[in-house]
Amino acid sequence: MKIGLEVHVALPTKTKLFCSDSTAETKEPNSQICPICVGFPGSRPVLNKEAVRVAKSIAIALNCSVKDKISFIRKVYFYPDLPKSFQITQLSESIGSEGSIELEKKKIRIRRIQIEEDPAQIIREGGYTLLDFNRSGTPLVEIVTEPDITTEEELRETVFTLRTILHYQGVDVNQEIKTDLNISLAEDRVEIKNVTGIKNLIAAAQYEIARQGAIIEKGGVPEKETRSFDAASGTTKASRKKESEEEYGFIYEPDLTVYDTKNLAENAMRIPTKIARDLAVKHNANYKTILELIAFDTGALNLISTFEDEFSFNTIIASLEIMKRFGEPSNSNVFKEILNLTDQKIDITREVLKKIKSGDKVEIKKFSESQIDETIRKMLNSDATIVEKYKKNKNVVNFIIGTISKKYGIQPREAAVRVESVINKL
Amino acid sequence: MKSYIAEFDTKEKPKDYYNKLLENLKEKNRELNAFNNFNDSLHGGFPFSVKDNICVKGVESTASSKILKTYKPPFNATVVERLQKNNFGFLGKTNMDEFGFGSFGINCEAPAHNPFNSDYVAGGSSSGAAIATAILKYHVAVAESTGGSISSPAAFCGVVGFTPTYGVVSRNGLIDYANSLDKIGFMARSAIDVRKVLNMSTGRDTKDTTSLDVRLTDEPKIQFSVINQLMNGLDGKIRSAFDKFLEKLKGMDYKVNYVDLKEIEAAIPAYYVISAAEASTNLARYTGFKYGFKVNDFSKKYNDFFTEARKQFGAEAKRRIILGTFVRSASVKNRYYIRALKVRAMLNEKMRRILRESFIVSPTMPITTPKIADIEKLSPVQNYALDILTIPPNLCGLPHISFPYDYIGGMPIGAQVIGEHFNDYAVISFVENWERKFKYKFRYNIGAL
Amino acid sequence: MDDKEFKSLLETARISLIETESEKIKKDLEEVISYFDQLDKIDCGNLQPAYHPIEIPGIMRDDVPEEFKEKKELLDNTKTHRLYVIGPEV
Repeated sequence: MKIGLEVHVALPTKTKLFCSDSTAETKEPNSQICPICVGFPGSRPVLNKEAVRVAKSIAIALNCSVKDKISFIRKVYFYPDLPKSFQITQLSESIGSEGSIELEKKKIRIRRIQIEEDPAQIIREGGYTLLDFNRSGTPLVEIVTEPDITTEEELRETVFTLRTILHYQGVDVNQEIKTDLNISLAEDRVEIKNVTGIKNLIAAAQYEIARQGAIIEKGGVPEKETRSFDAASGTTKASRKKESEEEYGFIYEPDLTVYDTKNLAENAMRIPTKIARDLAVKHNANYKTILELIAFDTGALNLISTFEDEFSFNTIIASLEIMKRFGEPSNSNVFKEILNLTDQKIDITREVLKKIKSGDKVEIKKFSESQIDETIRKMLNSDATIVEKYKKNKNVVNFIIGTISKKYGIQPREAAVRVESVINKL
Repeated sequence: MKSYIAEFDTKEKPKDYYNKLLENLKEKNRELNAFNNFNDSLHGGFPFSVKDNICVKGVESTASSKILKTYKPPFNATVVERLQKNNFGFLGKTNMDEFGFGSFGINCEAPAHNPFNSDYVAGGSSSGAAIATAILKYHVAVAESTGGSISSPAAFCGVVGFTPTYGVVSRNGLIDYANSLDKIGFMARSAIDVRKVLNMSTGRDTKDTTSLDVRLTDEPKIQFSVINQLMNGLDGKIRSAFDKFLEKLKGMDYKVNYVDLKEIEAAIPAYYVISAAEASTNLARYTGFKYGFKVNDFSKKYNDFFTEARKQFGAEAKRRIILGTFVRSASVKNRYYIRALKVRAMLNEKMRRILRESFIVSPTMPITTPKIADIEKLSPVQNYALDILTIPPNLCGLPHISFPYDYIGGMPIGAQVIGEHFNDYAVISFVENWERKFKYKFRYNIGAL
Repeated sequence: MDDKEFKSLLETARISLIETESEKIKKDLEEVISYFDQLDKIDCGNLQPAYHPIEIPGIMRDDVPEEFKEKKELLDNTKTHRLYVIGPEV
């Protein structure tokens, strides 16, 4: 099986790609429009520098080679949401090419990253459509991968990894990301156009894998075609005939020119996959655990850097996991205290956290193992049959575990270990 | 050499001057089809007309196409804004070949007529701009040229037509024909008035990426080059009139030399390939619902809806859309579109080599003014071939000026001078010199005080 | 160019022609294209395609929002419903 993706992501700019309309969210239709993004005759595009700068940063973050000179093309096709009936996009002189998304154990190659304009939003109304041009002209990057994804698991990891890298470049990864995916179980590739959101992307892939699998099982061959995903039913179906390469009739966009990208300062290159890998090697820790902690939380990464020299790496990771478990934001000022307590092997319960937050002193009662064991022994001695019963049913000591756990502020799991060891020594 | 702009400013005008002007002009327009509409609220400033493919805020701007009927741009073209700031008054929109597709002013609903004889063409595509300039005493025209749309009608109507270096006048507000070729320029009754409006209109415009921030020069040349290959196809009468013209140049102490540029004829196919390719993408947006002509039956599926709307295009527009769609389709793109762009690079280099030491001069059109009926009989290739003299400077974005120098059979004829990129004022200066020596008499003077 | 190619070209361009018009335009097209074929014979050396006749510096715009004020005039050109532009069925 081979899966390739074309992922469309809106760039974090204040204005549209070719005009100065705001890209801020708005509920009022057609309130952020002008002649350029509605394609009125006489208007023409003027390129947004920030869009190119961010796109360049993304290209670098995705290991692409970045062209010193970029230009744009017109891709002609007809649809009501496309104001000029051509989309201004990039092809051979695109911002990035030949990059990769690094998964834990393999690389998904990127063929090209191109800057392009988003069409308008179209609402189907049976008998007509309604168009909102607020979205029209939003700057996008389209990230085109090679068909290197071979399992559903890899697909999930690819999307996760791509999203975290984009997050570190300032992209809003909670946006509805639009993806075209091509899947081929046999020779010919099936394209599924315009899948909105990550959940739908996975569902579309699952459905398509099953559909093509069933055809092959019956001795058939899945046809080369374009399909669309219906989120309501979770199925794909053959869709409108899209223009072919021949018909797009790409020409150079003559209202724009060649742009120099050399002098555009890229973002600070914080690449979460690379950071996680370096940390994992440095501290002999688990790559996946680290990546998951920092993926969409640059604050967590900042905490690691801040305390890396002061605390053991295991303590930091454990503390971050506690923060995550209790939904504490990484900028919360409780982190230092959690670190301290974790470092002293104190279990952070919800109550403990509450105390930390209210500024109360968390009393640290330290008990020696022998003290605890002594208490267990006493409790066991109070019932002569308990050890016999325990051999048949371990649950009989649950009340002892509960009591010990509460009394000494240790985890039930730990209390159980102590109880067992005392019994074994009897 | 006379500035009508300067003269107009000093004259006291009767109270109802603008009303009278409009009234007389409308009367004349019934016969000539120079204007698509008039600004009835004009009440001040030096009158200027605007070719109908250039946007004037709130004024129907159709590029003489049925598909743009009712389109009222919500903004002004930069050139319109700049002239208005200089106390010019918008007079009306001038007729043209639909979207600029034509050299004779007849590819539109109301064909334009030559003011000297209405059986004859006015030239195109800026037909109305040239007619307006020929009949109005105090007026300049904002026109536009892609492949000769200023020179051709200026020559046939006996006025000065100037096309600047590509990028010198902002195209913001121009309804595109072919973006890498389109240039907004001017027509006037004298070269000095062209200089004045050019001066007001240049300078970088942030709304047009291809508009340039350059200082135009006025470096005179005493040498005039005649390209041998361009003289071959001339009509006999044009040839002998032009030879006399060259003698007059020599009499003004200019030098004339003959040069070869054997690839020059490739300018025509190169031009038509590039312009059709770009035009077919520009015209893709006309789909019958956002502006202009409306289909209204929204329950029609979008492809049928769009195809229905696009029936409004005239025959030449359809032809160029199909042609343009063909030459840029993936399988033949290298053979036509890319090839044409390379030919442009080659001709550009060769023309510039000649222009380093001289101007290039030729008649503006290879034929005497044709009758409307005769042009209608031509095949497209025959028709396109008549652009051989105006296409080379347009393909290469070189500044050029057409001016009237003689009459043949009562119809004016024009000569065209081409200069180096950005030496725009030099070709204007030359015509100013010519006008000092050889006065030209205008036949109509509508709007005279 | 055969009839099938011509028909598909018309479809790509969303142009429909009546029969008499179609024959004439197809003939014109063939004539014009064979005229274009002379481009093949021109020696252009190693020249790069000239996308513009002169060099255009690539000046980009700063990312500063600016509202277009004449939205009403813009939308007056079209048919709207609850501020949406009405378009054809898809």
